[in-house]
Amino acid sequence: MKENILVKYNDIHKSYGDLEVLKGINLGIHEGEKVALIGPSGSGKTTLARLLMTLEEPTKGTIEVDGKLLWHEEVNGKLQRASEKHLHEVRGNIGMVFQHFHLFPHMTVLENVMEAPISVLGMKKEDAKKDAQEMLDKVGLIDKVDTYPAQLSGGQKQRVAIARALVMRPKIMIFDEPTSALDPELVGEVLDVIKDIAKEGKMGMLLITHEMDFAMDIADRVVFFDEGIILEQGPPKELLNNPKTERLQTFLSRFMNAN
Amino acid sequence: MWDWSFALEILPEIVSALKITISATFAGFAVALVLGLILTLLRRSDKVIISKAAQGFIEFIRNTPILVQLYFIFYVFPEFGLSLSPFAAGVVGLGLHYSTYLSEVYRSGIDAVPQGQWEVGTALNFSKTQIWTKIIIPQAVPPVVPVLGNYLLTMFKETPLLSAITLVEILQTAKIIGSRSFRYLEAFSIVGLLFLLLSYPSSLLIQRLDKKLNRR
Amino acid sequence: MSTIELLFALLKGLRVTLTVAFFAIALAFVLSFVVGFGRLSKIKFIRAISTIYVEVIRGTSLLVQLFWIYFALPIIGIRMTAMMAGIIALGLNGGAYGSEIVRSSIISVPVGQTEASIALNFTPRQRMWRIILPQAFVMMLPGFGNLQIEILKGTALVSLITLGDLTYRANVINASTMETTKIFTILLLIYFLIAWPMTRGIEWIEKKLTVGRY
Repeated sequence: MKENILVKYNDIHKSYGDLEVLKGINLGIHEGEKVALIGPSGSGKTTLARLLMTLEEPTKGTIEVDGKLLWHEEVNGKLQRASEKHLHEVRGNIGMVFQHFHLFPHMTVLENVMEAPISVLGMKKEDAKKDAQEMLDKVGLIDKVDTYPAQLSGGQKQRVAIARALVMRPKIMIFDEPTSALDPELVGEVLDVIKDIAKEGKMGMLLITHEMDFAMDIADRVVFFDEGIILEQGPPKELLNNPKTERLQTFLSRFMNAN
Repeated sequence: MWDWSFALEILPEIVSALKITISATFAGFAVALVLGLILTLLRRSDKVIISKAAQGFIEFIRNTPILVQLYFIFYVFPEFGLSLSPFAAGVVGLGLHYSTYLSEVYRSGIDAVPQGQWEVGTALNFSKTQIWTKIIIPQAVPPVVPVLGNYLLTMFKETPLLSAITLVEILQTAKIIGSRSFRYLEAFSIVGLLFLLLSYPSSLLIQRLDKKLNRR
Repeated sequence: MSTIELLFALLKGLRVTLTVAFFAIALAFVLSFVVGFGRLSKIKFIRAISTIYVEVIRGTSLLVQLFWIYFALPIIGIRMTAMMAGIIALGLNGGAYGSEIVRSSIISVPVGQTEASIALNFTPRQRMWRIILPQAFVMMLPGFGNLQIEILKGTALVSLITLGDLTYRANVINASTMETTKIFTILLLIYFLIAWPMTRGIEWIEKKLTVGRY
């Protein structure tokens, strides 16, 4: 594994009013590394991911991405809240796939995938189109380019959303429970696509999922979250076969029973 | 420009005309509530002709100016032997125009009750009347009460139109004062302020009522 | 007077009615967006000004506003033609209601749309113009359709400040011919025949823009 650290959470806290959902998280993710976050719902996994995507601001602590502070910038030697310009610059390293897809309903499938490369990366229309078509081919939806999202199944929507995020070529991609909103019979097609991408290897992943087998399969490292702190982390097999904390044992046994 | 002593002098005269404005509002609202209900029922009629006719009537009223409708009631009805006082014509005109809006409100309230509620009523062997009075209406009414309140306010703000058919409500009173003294600024400003003073707090009250009734 | 003669006499007012309606709708449309965005502004002062405008207009009455602009403003030195006064009163009034349509449509675009566009690194301006507004605009259409009709109906009020629109003509002809029933029936029909296609037109546009997408 390469030793370059791409993402670094430094003592991150996040509160909503009196409720503290993250209580001092320290976590580094290497370039190309696939990290799976597991843990009970409400444990803070999603919040941690949303902080990285700049959808929410940390209450305390810093996040570094590719050597730059994400939420802060130095102006005249003083640390300040990042400007929109700074956020825009650093955010380009990160991509995200949402639980509820959030496709743009007023655009066709192809337009959904082409829009950001054209207006954010400044790509030429023809190039963006070619790239989008390739990506849609990869997720198996090349025949749906002119369809509007409303006419797609949940699994198809999520595959378009993955293509839409992939064409931006982020260094790390967040998958926030990408199959939780899907009907059971559609989960497989989405997991297969994510697996394929993971096998290509170059892009880092921050994966939040309840599909334990899947997480164990593709992750280089599994991080167990509980009540706003990291309780355990390590290679998947180690964590699965040899959980040290009682909380993880309970959590895992619940999944084993469920399957 | 603005003459305070003149403003204070004419204030009582304008305020006293509020009685007419407010009674026209409530009388018109009462007419609209009843007519609106009738229109809703006609529209739900099983006979296509009746429901289409009701629908057409509603569309026609909603797509023509209330001012012209008021003229029609005030000037045309007498040709058919029905002479109404300005107040009565105003109440009928306001009531008729807004009944078409209220029928829409009633309809949305009824439509918002889930289909399953009718089915449950039938499954429990309620009579048709019981389904209406015990299941549908108690669920259909609370959500639309604030909407009805807003229409009451809208009608209140439409009453100055009745001055066009010679009813001496507050705007007409102000106009008379204006033409008498050649000072329109104070008179019309006072009318505007009175409307604002009465309708803004009422709209806040309605908002609170809405939160209270519809927090489920 | 024959019915045809009556009709032609009335239609002399049509141009005025349509002119007032057209410019008032245009003014209302522009104000709706300016004020609608104003109410969502990050700057408190702009929010406050926009809110005051909306509440004052909605808290008073259109006819009072029209009279105030036409009869009271000249006293403080602001003079304008009846046509101008009519357009401004109707436009200001429509703008206040329209701004609510704009504001509520923008805030009802699901928050996930904003999040997805942040994740794709769109700039705030691109988020608004490419993602939020196109979706909000479709939601605004029925509201704007109603607003247009309300403004058209409202133009009848300009007859009360002596502007020669359809309704004004009807009153004049009525005074000289006393063919009351015929005149006011035709008048109602004319308004209906203008308003009806407008309503249908908006519905058609809405259908065109939404088919297969939502």
